[in-house]
Amino acid sequence: MLVTAVEARPLRSLVDVRIELGAGIVSLIGPNGAGKTNFLEALYFALTGRSFRTSDRRDLIPFGGSLARVEAVVCDADGVERRLLASVSRAEGRRHLLDGSPADPATLARNRPPVVVFSPDRLALVKGPPAERRAHLDRFVAARWPSRSELRRRYGQALAQRNALVAQLAGGLGAATELDVWDAALAEAAAALAEARAAAVEELSAPFAEAAGELGLEGRAAIEYVPRAAGSAAEILVGLTERRDADLRLGRTSWGPHLDELKIASAGRSLRRYGSQGQQRAALLALLFAERDALLEARRAPPLLLLDDVMSELDPERRERLVERLDGAGQVLITTTTEESVPGRAKRSVVRMPIAVPHAAAA
Amino acid sequence: MSAEGPAPLARLVAELSRLPGIGQRTAQRLAFHLLRAPDEEAAALAAAIRDVKEKVGLCEQCFNLSEGPLCRICADTSRDRATICVAEEPADVIAIERTHEYRGLYHVLGGALSPIDGVDAEDLKIAELLRRVEGGEVREVVLATNPTTTGEATALQIAELLRGKAAVTRLASGLPVGADLEHADEVTLGKALAGRRSLD
Ligand SMILES: [Zn+2]
Repeated sequence: MLVTAVEARPLRSLVDVRIELGAGIVSLIGPNGAGKTNFLEALYFALTGRSFRTSDRRDLIPFGGSLARVEAVVCDADGVERRLLASVSRAEGRRHLLDGSPADPATLARNRPPVVVFSPDRLALVKGPPAERRAHLDRFVAARWPSRSELRRRYGQALAQRNALVAQLAGGLGAATELDVWDAALAEAAAALAEARAAAVEELSAPFAEAAGELGLEGRAAIEYVPRAAGSAAEILVGLTERRDADLRLGRTSWGPHLDELKIASAGRSLRRYGSQGQQRAALLALLFAERDALLEARRAPPLLLLDDVMSELDPERRERLVERLDGAGQVLITTTTEESVPGRAKRSVVRMPIAVPHAAAA
Repeated sequence: MSAEGPAPLARLVAELSRLPGIGQRTAQRLAFHLLRAPDEEAAALAAAIRDVKEKVGLCEQCFNLSEGPLCRICADTSRDRATICVAEEPADVIAIERTHEYRGLYHVLGGALSPIDGVDAEDLKIAELLRRVEGGEVREVVLATNPTTTGEATALQIAELLRGKAAVTRLASGLPVGADLEHADEVTLGKALAGRRSLD
């Protein structure tokens, strides 16, 4: 699936911007403050109905305005065009329409490419708390194995039910034997989720190491799944039973996949704690590339990649290799400030950011 | 007369807007429709509402909806009394009956285990189910709770309690995860009934 055009009218500093996009690698060139990041955000918003920079969609409304609105045209393999429109208004909240009509999230998702973003705002994935990495890994699981896409939600529901019961029991309400059935339900959901995460990291580790090397992450870079509870449902049930008294004292479930970690390391040291900004950027990029490789390898639809300002920190040789890696499958949008930083083979599809009006806010 | 019109009309709008899925504007539209409708049409609706509250209760045996002490299904002597299908709600019984695949009796729990909502085993008709099974006639119990987290946990709990007392089977998968029986189509639900698997 291809995004062929995006219209932001308006979103943040973009007042009335329409940009047409081709297949393959598209370079979006413009000086700092021209709104390149805003444009990636606008495209992401049109496709997903969300922003990758803020959880409050009203931040997308221009200063002094009352509405943000973006439309994207998506063309499928048969050449059928669909229009996705996302908007948020102070008065009426948000809307996400497919060809002018409201649609449920699953229908919207079927009619757009999966989309992956690299931007400085997403570095929290490497340096933030483990919850972000778990959520990201589970999204990859869902893209890689659609039949496993419910595992995260199912575990979350079983966990919430068990926690509610543990809290009631800790408060002196009810009999501890009521926990038996929820321990069993939680163990089953936990085993399935941990197995899926392990399988995902297994597929990602080799392409991650390779991409990290290409991007100049020195030392041996590696991702590692560190499960808090692994094994069969029966084994996890034993673990939950052993910790039952401790859980009842704490009033919550203290053990399970909701505490898993995806460790990202270079030369054996955690990049979350010890990595420089540059290393963390390279690690994030390597992870996104590894996911793309794994999806292509499994013949799943490759995601639309939105790469904000990745060229600036790479030398010309690494830029060449990055373009080489991304050429040939899926659609990739790369922002950059100067045409010189666009490698030769990516020059065939270059889009210039329309000149922003002087008073527009910088990105 | 207030901004909402005459008082009886405002009261009707207020009552209608308490119904699930009915907003203020829909309630207004329905109220004006009833106002314009022939007298007998409005009276029939009022009578139907009164009847359902006065005449429909729960079956003493299976807790399905019933007009008398025993529901139509429990009273039907041609049904297979050795099989009980356990469902969460009366609406699930209607869905299963539509498949015409099942000839046994039912047991309606009145919900599913859910600590978050404060629902435990005592809030459901589980003890009543055990008494029916211990009564002797029952050979198979089919667990037809929804394939949701709460429905699965409820099935697990009942299977545990019935261990050694009757054969316990679960609806075959094929129903989408997280779906509810009420909205499953007849063919899918029929297949799930035909292919039920044993739970030990
Ligand atoms: Zn009955």
